[in-house]
Amino acid sequence: MSVEVAVFILRLLAGLSLIGFLAVLFLIIWRSMRQVNHQLAAARMAHGYLTGLSSEPRQASEATERFPLHAITTLGRSASNTIVVNDDYASAQHARIVLEDGQWWLEDRRSRNGTRLNDVAIDQRAVLTDSDVIGIGSFSYRLTLINNMSR
Amino acid sequence: MPRIEDLLRSAAESLVNRRHHYLLLAFAGLSIFAGKAAISLTRPSGQDLWLGLAIWIACALGGTALLNRYLPARDPVLFPLAIFLSGWGLVAIQRLAPSFAARQALWLVISVGAMLFAAVFPHLLRWLRVYRYVVLAGALMLLLATIVFGSNPSGFEFAPRLWLQVGAVYFQPSEFMKLVLVAFMASYLGEQSAVIRAERGDASMKLPLSPRLAGPMLSMWLLSLVILVWQRDLGPAMLLFVVFLLLLYTTSGDWRILIGGLLLVLLAAAAAYHLFDVVKLRVDIWLNPWPESDGRAYQIVQSLMAFGAGGILGTGVGLGSPGYIPVVHSDFVFAALAEEWGLLGVIGVLSCFAVLTLRGLSIGLTHGGRDSHKLLAVGLTMMLVVQALMIMAGVLKLLPLTGVTLPFISYGGSSLLVCFVMIGLLLRLSAEAFSTRHPGAL
Repeated sequence: MSVEVAVFILRLLAGLSLIGFLAVLFLIIWRSMRQVNHQLAAARMAHGYLTGLSSEPRQASEATERFPLHAITTLGRSASNTIVVNDDYASAQHARIVLEDGQWWLEDRRSRNGTRLNDVAIDQRAVLTDSDVIGIGSFSYRLTLINNMSR
Repeated sequence: MPRIEDLLRSAAESLVNRRHHYLLLAFAGLSIFAGKAAISLTRPSGQDLWLGLAIWIACALGGTALLNRYLPARDPVLFPLAIFLSGWGLVAIQRLAPSFAARQALWLVISVGAMLFAAVFPHLLRWLRVYRYVVLAGALMLLLATIVFGSNPSGFEFAPRLWLQVGAVYFQPSEFMKLVLVAFMASYLGEQSAVIRAERGDASMKLPLSPRLAGPMLSMWLLSLVILVWQRDLGPAMLLFVVFLLLLYTTSGDWRILIGGLLLVLLAAAAAYHLFDVVKLRVDIWLNPWPESDGRAYQIVQSLMAFGAGGILGTGVGLGSPGYIPVVHSDFVFAALAEEWGLLGVIGVLSCFAVLTLRGLSIGLTHGGRDSHKLLAVGLTMMLVVQALMIMAGVLKLLPLTGVTLPFISYGGSSLLVCFVMIGLLLRLSAEAFSTRHPGAL
């Protein structure tokens, strides 16, 4: 075997294994991206919805508004919340609904005027069930859970 | 919404798969072996260094085994990337400057050892944060010592004296300065970040730029100017300042930092153009090298020729003629790779640095609650990547040439050592991100 042939084969080997190295590298990165994507999709999946109920009849149009329920849903006056509560009695970061160990919990985030569950102010985190009513300021929301957690 | 750092962390945890390390190492080893074998066939020389390949394999396997043992949950691609690039560098140095290859292999052993120390030793990150003024003062003293007592191993009278000689070993304190400055800036800005962000939202601030941002920015600029004047070269000074700007921007999210910083860079560059012949020369030959292609622009023109000669698949290892480029083994190693490995090799190097950026920044993101760790990860990554981009763009005549090395690949012991220590710190940061469930709690 002449030197030229050997060098050509080595060159081929060097190039192909360089491509192989890069391919494995990209495979790893791609898998990691896909994993993040899956988790984001799962976290964004709506598990139910909150229906806005208003005590004042002239805001009836707002009453039919539905908000999707995520694994972590925040309520408050600040625009960074999942559900923005436009009420003078609502704090910027008012309350939070979280899914933990298959249970839905309502947490008050040290709001000034408190959070009500079925018209009773809560002093610690409370378990939520279907058709509970959450009250913040003069607003109330009815919780509707969808049973899609067939895990 | 779940926090992005939690998602990234669990995604990265699922990637800790041992098979990948060995698959990556196998491909890297095969590629480097083939390159090495091709060189010994095409350029048989007295100093045929199969020992270098053996040392590289020992470093790769030993490093992986020790990391698996002491730091099992870590970023899976950083070490294979670094060791692959340095192996490629060893082959390139063997090809371009055979007499330096043995020394570089020795430095590789030292570097991998230092990386393991940085990755495994648990208190290093805290010490860098707590004793940051001591470390910074030490580094500044070392820099001062180099300005006064510095020498140049080549022995030319007018060569820049950037080295300190200890016994038979020369080392470049300015390389270590990069590491120390990044660690210092990260811990300083990490402490200030809450105040800086609060000031941003504060409408009563009438100043266009908070003194908390402008102060460090100007003092860093002055330090960069000192380095610029001393080295008579834009490269290292600009690198330090650009990385610092990026860190400041990461902390504050204020785009005016980038504009202001750019103006300061241009100001310093314009002054340097008129004051230093080296800088003037480099800008002139960047704008138009052709009238002097046989004279002062010879190096950059030959580098462009090498890129052209390489084509898509390259001339083949050992079959090109990168020897026409002066000092090709250090600053211009990228041009030699482009000639012998072609576009394929160029894309390979670029991809490696792109993946390094991606992993480094996502390590930073997983430290959402701890600003000093986040900034350290961002700073280390940026230091490596900005340096790589500066020299690669310089060799391609996209930017004026700046005298910095191509990380991991270029010949240079101090540079290799510092790059590996940076990788070690990044590995440590990634491991801490995995092990902490609630980063905000610490």
